[in-house]
Amino acid sequence: MSWTCEQVEARLSEYLDGLLTPPERSDLEAHARDCVQCAPMLSSVAGLVRSLHDMEPLEEPPLLVAHILDRTLGPRQARRSWRWIFGWFDWLRQPRLAYGAACVALTLAAVLPALGFSWRAPRLRDLNPVNMYRAADRRTHLLYARGSKFVSDLRVVYEIQTRLRPETAIPAEPESAPSNGIKPRAPAGSSETPGPGPARQQNRVNQFPPSPVVIASILPGAGERSLP
Amino acid sequence: MEQDSQLIQQCLRGDGSAWERLVSQHARRIYNLCYRFTGSSAEAEDLSQEVFLRIYRTLESYRAGQGAFTTWMTSVARNLLIDHYRKTRYQRMTDSLEDAMPVVESKESSARRPDRHAMLGELSRQVQVALQRVSPDLREAVILRDLQGLDYREIQKVLQAPEGTVKSRINRGRIELAKVLSQMGVRAD
Repeated sequence: MSWTCEQVEARLSEYLDGLLTPPERSDLEAHARDCVQCAPMLSSVAGLVRSLHDMEPLEEPPLLVAHILDRTLGPRQARRSWRWIFGWFDWLRQPRLAYGAACVALTLAAVLPALGFSWRAPRLRDLNPVNMYRAADRRTHLLYARGSKFVSDLRVVYEIQTRLRPETAIPAEPESAPSNGIKPRAPAGSSETPGPGPARQQNRVNQFPPSPVVIASILPGAGERSLP
Repeated sequence: MEQDSQLIQQCLRGDGSAWERLVSQHARRIYNLCYRFTGSSAEAEDLSQEVFLRIYRTLESYRAGQGAFTTWMTSVARNLLIDHYRKTRYQRMTDSLEDAMPVVESKESSARRPDRHAMLGELSRQVQVALQRVSPDLREAVILRDLQGLDYREIQKVLQAPEGTVKSRINRGRIELAKVLSQMGVRAD
């Protein structure tokens, strides 16, 4: 028996849901194969049904269950547990926020000691902005002074080494040199520096440590250095 | 189903945690049914609350011998949805012209998304738009059959309609929906 287009249309869903008997199924398929109207309709509806079945259910709003329970069981303050309390902090579990918090914590751990705050003996007054400012100011000046002293010390050591090193010392004093007992300072790294002196003179220089008087005479400001 | 029956018995004895589990298990199903029928997440959320409120109040009237709890629950939801539809019919008539606009945009955007997940999401939105253009009788039949996964017998109970009517509504609903999607330029296959 050959089906009409009306019959196919009327029983299309039964065919797609597998409710037709095998002979009915064969008849419908035989008609749909040759019918230019029913074939696209069958294809279209079958595709639609497949797509509808593939669709994932939508997620319900996050507070829907809580609202339903509130409306049916009443406000649930007494039933709220620590999970409810900490549920508000769920947003903290985002990785981006965790990285940000870790960076802030590291920054505070590095900066707060510099501002006079002690993690071992924390005091509330150390968090006072005035005290923090003073501590930071004092530490900055201390750091600057230490740096200045270090640079000055390096300079003194360098000058002494330059003076006492035989290859940098002036071996032959010209007649016309000033007679104040101080040899003219040769610039460090100068190409005019004379060659090394005799071995005997070098040994004698190495025998005696540099006297403070000599150092003071070389560098007039060396003995007066102190922290600002 | 047995688990539902146990939970219902516990609920009727006044066990609040059993009710909480029952709500958690079925909230998504009811929300989806409401959303597919109304097309609005806010309305679906309100209606879902109303459905569970009515279920909570009439839980004693549920008889396990008459069918699955999900069928009974769907029937309660369907009645509420029909009531809601009748109340908001006028508003929907005025809104129906505005619904045509986003369709073209979604067609455009679906062409740019090659991955299947995005395409299914886009198709889901388009089906949602198309569902609103189908008459409520046909719409609810298609939703119950193809989106809620009920069988024909369960749908008969929910709709309280004879078998022939249910089959006819499902069939006409599918054909109508396919035509609307085709007019929107959407290929569902």
